[in-house]
Formats: sequence, C-alpha cells, structure tokens
Amino acid sequence: MPDNWSFVLAAYGLAALVLGGYWRRLLRRERELVARERRCGAARDEPRPTPTSPGPPIPRR
Amino acid sequence: MTSRERALGWLAGLGLTAGLVMAFGVAPREATQGNVQRIMYLHVPAILVAYLAFGVVLVASVIYLWGRAAGADRLAHASAEVGVVFTGINIATGAIWGKPTWGTWWTWDARLTSVSIMFVVYLGYLLLRAMIEDRERAARFAAVLGIVAALDIPLVHFSVYWWRTLHQPPTLLRPGSPPMDPTFVLALMVNLVAFALLYGYFTAKRVRLLRQEEEEVFA
Repeated sequence: MPDNWSFVLAAYGLAALVLGGYWRRLLRRERELVARERRCGAARDEPRPTPTSPGPPIPRR
Repeated sequence: MTSRERALGWLAGLGLTAGLVMAFGVAPREATQGNVQRIMYLHVPAILVAYLAFGVVLVASVIYLWGRAAGADRLAHASAEVGVVFTGINIATGAIWGKPTWGTWWTWDARLTSVSIMFVVYLGYLLLRAMIEDRERAARFAAVLGIVAALDIPLVHFSVYWWRTLHQPPTLLRPGSPPMDPTFVLALMVNLVAFALLYGYFTAKRVRLLRQEEEEVFA
C-alpha cells in the first residue's frame, strides 16, 4: 500500500489548526477579561471632585 | 494564569513533542497500511480524551444537581467544550484516514454514526447553555442533558461489537492485551497522556475564565 504521506500531513495539520485555534480563542478571551477588569478598576479608582468651599448658606425659612 | 495552569501547559507541550517523536521517530512503519497508519496516534487518543471529558461532564452534572455547586457547573461547561474539540478532531482525522484505507471519507457505519451523534448532542449542550439567560436555569437544564448525553459514550465504544461495522474493534479499552506490537502501544500511550494533559490545561483555563466572567456579571 502506498504511504499516503499527504493524508498523514493533512490529519496532523488539521489537528494542530483546531487545537491552536482553540488555544488562541482562550488566550484572547483571557486578554479581554483582563482589559475589562483594568478599565473597571480604573473607573472605580478615579478621584471624584471634592467641594473646596462649603457653598452658599441655605436660606432659613 | 495560575502556576498550576502554567505547569500543565508546559507538561502538555512536552508531552505533545514526545508524542510526535514517538509517532514519527520511534514507531515503525505498519506493514499493511504503510505510514498512513500514523494517523492512529492522533485519532485514538482524541476519542479517548473525549470520553474522559464527557465522563467529567456526567460526574460534575450529578454533583451540581445534588448540591447546586457552581464550581461543578463550571467544570461541566468547560469539559463539554473541550470534549467537543477533541471529538471534532477524532471525526476529521478518521475521515482522512478512511479515504486511503477504506476508499471513502465517510460511511454511515455504526461507530461513525454514533460518534457523530455524540458530537451533535454535546454541541446542543453548549447551545442550550448559551441560549438560556438565567444562569441557574441554564446550569440545571445543562446538568440534566449532561447526564442523559453520557448514555451515548458506551454506545459509541461498544457499537463495533453490537453491530456489523466497517470500523475495526477498539485498540485500547478492550478485554485482553492490545493486538499490537509493544512499540505501537507505547507510542499510543505517550500520545494519550499528552492529550490528557492538554485536556487538563484547556479545562483548567476555561474553568478560570468562566469564573471570571461570572464575577464580572455579578460585580
């Protein structure tokens, strides 16, 4: 029987593509989550404007 | 990435390298089929790891229904996803191997049909999870499906005994010793361990990502 190396290469190549593709998908999702977490953290830590003066007195009725 | 994940990733990488060396450098050329038989070192470990993945889905689903542990649900979800990847590899490499040896890419043989049913059922499992927005309901329905779907695993494995098929009987997981030279068995076992490590790495990573996604939703 002929060796059919092209079929062997196709099988191993396809498996490498599928496994590599799934791995890349996981890494991309991981990066997205880290970036989103960083954005949320930065928004939480952003300093809020604090009043410098007590403001006008509240008129008494 | 946790240190356990990183270690698993490195071990899987080393295992896959060793598996390639065993498949192409150590295992001899098969006398009848020639070098195309080397596809076996990819095709057989892929389905055995898929069995493992779907077995984990079964156990994690039972645990979830028993105690509503969110961790068990995440494990079932991740394991099903990785199992589908390995089943896809098994079906594709089987078709590529079938063409030069059987003369056809595909035939509706009992083994091929039961494996494709298993593939579609677990794809449906993932679809079901994606379709239901309520997390608790999705987990409950998926757990029930994860238990029912596991019935297909013995059907796939024993199909070659129960029906007349073109597919050969199992190479591993059979009564008695494997019907092969020890060098072939060793190459197969090295690849099986490598695939199992890769399954562990992918599943650990996916479980962590699912936990982070949930924390983000509830934050």
